[in-house]
Amino acid sequence: MADLPAPRSADDDVLEIACREFVELVTEHMEGTLPKALENAIAAHLELCDPCVVYLEQMRRTAAALETLPTPTLPAAARDRVLEMFTSLHGGTDPAAPR
Amino acid sequence: MHHDGALPAVTAAVLEGGHAAQVELLDRLRAGDRTAFAELVDAWSPMLLRVARLHVSTHASAEEVVQETWLAVIRQLDRFEGRSSLRTWVFRILENQARTRGVREARTVPWSFGSGADGHEHAGATVDRARFRGPEDRWPGGWTPEGRPTAWEPAPEDAAMAAEVRRELRAALDELPERQRTVVELRDVYGLSSDETCERLGLSPGNQRILLHRGRARLRARLEHVYRGTTGEGARRG
Ligand SMILES: [Zn+2]
Repeated sequence: MADLPAPRSADDDVLEIACREFVELVTEHMEGTLPKALENAIAAHLELCDPCVVYLEQMRRTAAALETLPTPTLPAAARDRVLEMFTSLHGGTDPAAPR
Repeated sequence: MHHDGALPAVTAAVLEGGHAAQVELLDRLRAGDRTAFAELVDAWSPMLLRVARLHVSTHASAEEVVQETWLAVIRQLDRFEGRSSLRTWVFRILENQARTRGVREARTVPWSFGSGADGHEHAGATVDRARFRGPEDRWPGGWTPEGRPTAWEPAPEDAAMAAEVRRELRAALDELPERQRTVVELRDVYGLSSDETCERLGLSPGNQRILLHRGRARLRARLEHVYRGTTGEGARRG
């Protein structure tokens, strides 16, 4: 994101992140767009930090719950009209239907 | 519902142009396989309606745009060369239809993502700083005991919670800044990929992720509020 945590110092081998940083990286982690060093730091952090595991799980569940929201679709009459047109232009037989 | 061994139409329709399963799906559609076509219409019409609404000003107009899109798909099916996925091609037809209509309706710049407005949407933390330990603490930036998130019980998808979760999410979505709401809806509610969302909205991948992040974080906070409010201490018993 805009403010990735910087490595603590130039000769630090291992990048460490705090919980406050993890919560701002969580979406990029879920998207799989983080550089390897940060992914490693997140993996190491999650090994030791149950609340951040919970936070990640809650972001996943939030996204999953959004999938279940009802969404409007075409009115039945419009859908029928489209399917009629399909059949009239591309042939009246449905290969999957019993003859 | 489909031939033995064939992929479901919605699966084949997202494959890149030239993929064997796409060729097979196109053959079925051109041969008049109404079941396969209906599968696409039923699966995609909701998201096409949502995308159409980026360009036209009323739901009724969006319905007409989507119906015209399907009719154009039917008419042009034999000419589609299959260089892109079928889904990409359908999006392109939709956007041509929607833009034409949007111009007729004189809808003014429905989606000014390029403007760089709402810069404040990108600023600040998504979780209250007070929930983390300060710089002088032994674990700077770690959750405080009161601030740490606690597991949601029962889960949001549990029948006991699902209706309230959906109601709260719908309300919270409608309160999001428009750019965040649109990205979250396209990605999470309607299932567009990150690339598809960027293309529909003219967003860079990085900006799209920022808007998704901030939007989802607010929705998560809303659900957390629901869990803390309605189940309170009871949630921690189990
Ligand atoms: Zn943590």
